[in-house]
Formats: sequence, C-alpha cells, structure tokens
Amino acid sequence: MRRHSPAGRAAEAITWAVPLALLLLVALVPYIWMLLASLKPRAAIFANPPSFTFSPTWENYQTILEDKGFGGYLMNSIYVGAFSTILAVTIGTLTAYAFARFRMPAKHHLFFWILSTRLGSPVAYALPMYLIFYRMGLLNSMAAIVIAHASFNLVLVVWMMRSFFEDVPREVEEAAELDGCTPFGVFFRISLPMAWPGLATVMIFVLLFSWNELLFALILTSGEHRTITVMIPTLVSQTSTLWGQVAAASVLQSIPVIVFTFFVQKHLVQGLTFGAVKG
Amino acid sequence: MQKIGHPSWRSTAADFLTQRNFILFCIIPLLLFLILTSVIPGILALADSMTAWNLTAFGSQNRFVGLDNYRKLLGDDPQFWGSLGRTALFVLVVVPIEFALGLLIALYLLDPFPGRRLVLTLVMIPTMIAPVVVAMTWRFLMMPTFGLFTYYLRQLGFLSEGSVFSGEISAMATLMVIDIWEWTPFMMLILLSGLSAMPKEPIEAAQMDGASPLQILFHIQIPLLRPLIIVAVLFRSIDASKIFDTIYVLTGGGPGADATESITLFAHKTTFVTWQLGYGAAVCQVLVLFAVIAAALFYTAVARNQRSAS
Repeated sequence: MRRHSPAGRAAEAITWAVPLALLLLVALVPYIWMLLASLKPRAAIFANPPSFTFSPTWENYQTILEDKGFGGYLMNSIYVGAFSTILAVTIGTLTAYAFARFRMPAKHHLFFWILSTRLGSPVAYALPMYLIFYRMGLLNSMAAIVIAHASFNLVLVVWMMRSFFEDVPREVEEAAELDGCTPFGVFFRISLPMAWPGLATVMIFVLLFSWNELLFALILTSGEHRTITVMIPTLVSQTSTLWGQVAAASVLQSIPVIVFTFFVQKHLVQGLTFGAVKG
Repeated sequence: MQKIGHPSWRSTAADFLTQRNFILFCIIPLLLFLILTSVIPGILALADSMTAWNLTAFGSQNRFVGLDNYRKLLGDDPQFWGSLGRTALFVLVVVPIEFALGLLIALYLLDPFPGRRLVLTLVMIPTMIAPVVVAMTWRFLMMPTFGLFTYYLRQLGFLSEGSVFSGEISAMATLMVIDIWEWTPFMMLILLSGLSAMPKEPIEAAQMDGASPLQILFHIQIPLLRPLIIVAVLFRSIDASKIFDTIYVLTGGGPGADATESITLFAHKTTFVTWQLGYGAAVCQVLVLFAVIAAALFYTAVARNQRSAS
C-alpha cells in the first residue's frame, strides 16, 4: 500500500497535511478573528474591507476591566461556579457512591429522575424555580442561580463519579471492612481518596458548564448579580458599537475554558455526555 | 465483631454507623435537594399552569382557569406548533450533517500523529467555548457593514444588501451552519473514542482479504459502532432541540415575528417577555413531558451501548 520513494512520501505527507490545515482553518478562523478584534483599535475593527494589519492595543481590555465592571461579573461567575460545584459535587458524590456500591430500592427511578432534569430545556426548569424564588423573595440573589446550576450538573456528577467508584477495587474496601472500618470510614478513608483524580475531573466539568451557562443565569439574575455570559450580549445594542470590548470580554471568558479542555482531554467524551459515554 | 468489655459508647457508635444508616446519609441530601428543586417547584408550576397569571394584569395570579391554557396551547396556538415544527426541521437538518462530517473527521484523525492532542484541543474549541461567545463571534463575522464573512459573501455575490439575518431563509440557514460548526467537533470526538476502542483484528483481517477502506467502514466499523452512534445521535438531537443561546443573541427569533423562533425561544418569550406566567407554566409542563420521553429513550440507548462495550 505504501509508497517508499522520497517523492512518494512527500506527496503522501502533503495529501495528509492539507485536509488537516483546512480543518484547523475552518474550526479556528471565527475565534481567531474575535481574538484579533480584541487587540484592534476602534478604526481597524470597522474597516471595510476587513483589515489584517493593525497596531495592537490593550485598550479594549482596559476599558472592560476599568469602566465596564468586568471584574464584578467575573467574580459573580466564579462565585456561582464555585458554590454550585461544591453543592453538586457533595450531593452527587454521596449519591454516586451509594449507587455504585449498594443494592437499594428505586435506584433506577431516582437516577432516571436526575437524568430527566438535565435532558429538558433549562427554560422548563427555570420557570418553576423562578416562580418559587419570586415567592420567597430570593429572586436576583445568588442563591437562586447557585441552586439552579447545581441541579443541572447533578447528573454529570452522579454518572461520572459512579464509574470512578466502580473502578476502585472492591478488595481494598473489603480489607478495610475486615479491619473494623465502618461504612463511613471505608467511604471517607478509602474510596473517596482513591477516586480523587476522578473527582477533580468532575469538578472541572461542573465548573465549566456553570461558567458557560446562559439561560438559567439570564432568567434568575439581573443587575449587579449578572454573570459574564449574561453581561457579554448587553455590550451590544442596536445603536452602540462596542465590538472591541465584546471581543475582549469573550476572550477573557473563553481562555480558561480552552486551557481546561487541554487538561481534561482524556475525559472529554465522558464529561461532555455527562457520563453517558465512557471515552 | 464486638468484643466483650468494650466501652459501651463504642458499641452505640458502631450501631449507629451501620450500612443502612450510611446509605441514608448518602441519599438524604439528594432527596432533600430534589424535593426542593424539582418536586415543590413542579407541583407549584402545575398549579400555576391552571391560572391566568399574567404579571402585567393585577390580581390575575389566583384566577383559576382549569385546563384552558393546555387547551389553547395544544389546540390552537400557531406560535407553539410553528416553533415546534421549526425546531424539528432544525434538528433534522443539522444532526445528520454533524454526524457525517464528524465521522469523516474522526476517521481522518484516527491514526496517531505527533501533536495530535494539541490538534484535538484546537478542533474542540467551537464546542467547548460558551455558546454565547460562539453567538457573539458569529454576529461579529456577519455584521452588515464590516463583518468578515459578510464582506466575502458580498465579494462572491451570495449577498447583495443588509445582513444574512434579514432574510427568513438565510437567517435559518446561517443558524444551521453555526450549529454545525459548533457541534461537529463533539460528534467527531465521540465517534473517535468509539473507533479508537474498537478491536483491530477484524479490520486487519479484512485488509488482508483486500477490502477497501469504504468496505471496511460500512461493513465493519459502522456496524460495530452502532450502539454508540445511536447514543451520539440521540444526545445531539436532544441537545439541538434545546438550542437557545445562539438564536437569542443572533436573531431573537426574527426576522419578522418568528422566522427562527425555536420552542425554547417561544417558552422564554411567553414567560419572560410577555409575562404570561400561567400560560408559560403550561408550556414548560409540556417541555418537561418531552424531557421525560427523551430521558427514557436516552437511558435505553446508553444501557444498550454499555452492554455492547463491556
């Protein structure tokens, strides 16, 4: 099948590399254009025909950080991400362990219930939550959005942690039991530490999904409580033209996402399907 | 396991730390959370869906109308059925294309090469970045006067005036293209994981017998991947039917009244733009019903895939 002459090998390398370059071009051009816009002075952004040469500036980043209160929205996103992750991971890890290790009635029904809260549109779950928080006067507090994000990430934690707990060798746990460990001791001293790398991966995914989420945040927060994803579209209206700032905010929002993607790549399939497919 | 002569507090502690209590310890937080976030809101929303509650009409919250909202919604609301139809069309167009392109790219990236991990990370960027960032990026590329893509579409003669989002068909088509751009990498990654985990022997045996790559694809790889393909396509279809962020940012459901309005946009508009909370609650109940059906299908497909994988 393979050609061995140097010219043949070169031709083979080129026919292999050209589609790769094309693929990367299609996947990346929109994002790179945004990245460039974030570094462009105002005039270069609105140039027609599009300009590829410009003198880079940090102006857009400065404006959103200093004048547009980006730092505040950033803190909101971090706050929501951190607390919803703690909530979802605490509840979900305990559930996952019980599902992985014990026979219990209605296990499948419970799991099915958790799954169905993730497969519907967020609108369908946000409105009932909105109506509750409206009555409780919690609307437009961080509590509402933290609970909402925890609830839609629960199935990811349960499903992924369940598979990580199943990978912990049964014998180790049984040995601890024989040494007099209670079920609580087995869980906290043996199983949880052994599943720790998995737990860290799960936390990254929960954080990512909360960080990127728009619809719940749009419905349940406003004003000073808005997260970055809600804030970004507000930078553009029909009349104003703040594309440099939009680009800078988008880049700041997405850089951590891209970095994390690289680190959790091994588990990307499992994380993106909230545990349904083991990668 | 208890020894005679143990201090008595120890044995009571051991009595308390039993397996049954441990299971309760694991499950009670979940049950409390589900009651708080799902049962109580669900029951209240069901009750609200039978009222004429409208935030713009004072005192309408307690006007009980029975099943009127559902009768109107399912019987004669062209907006509901229209948005449902558009969502179905959207899913039926984008998912098969994402699958075909994803499979093609997965086959291409299947064999290891130097820098593969970096390439995969870069290719995954459209899927991984926030949908709202995707939407803003494309809005920028498609701006009528200075958008990069608008400029080239004009140069090539595909677009004469204004923006792609001002025509009903071109707006919908553009949203579809964006969705394909955003989610093909996801499809690629799932299929790639399935193809990589596949046993090599049947493929090598077929190669020995002189089978062409296409024959191997259709007679070995696709049949072996079938359970995974069903999971992936189902997952993507459910996800695509929930599309919100890109449409919300790019067209807001327009041009016109509702040319690109999906079912989620319709639900959002009913409740949070026109503030018909009672009617909106009814819409949400119907969406929850869809979610339960989707979950049942998905759960079955996943179980089948896991059985075939193990």
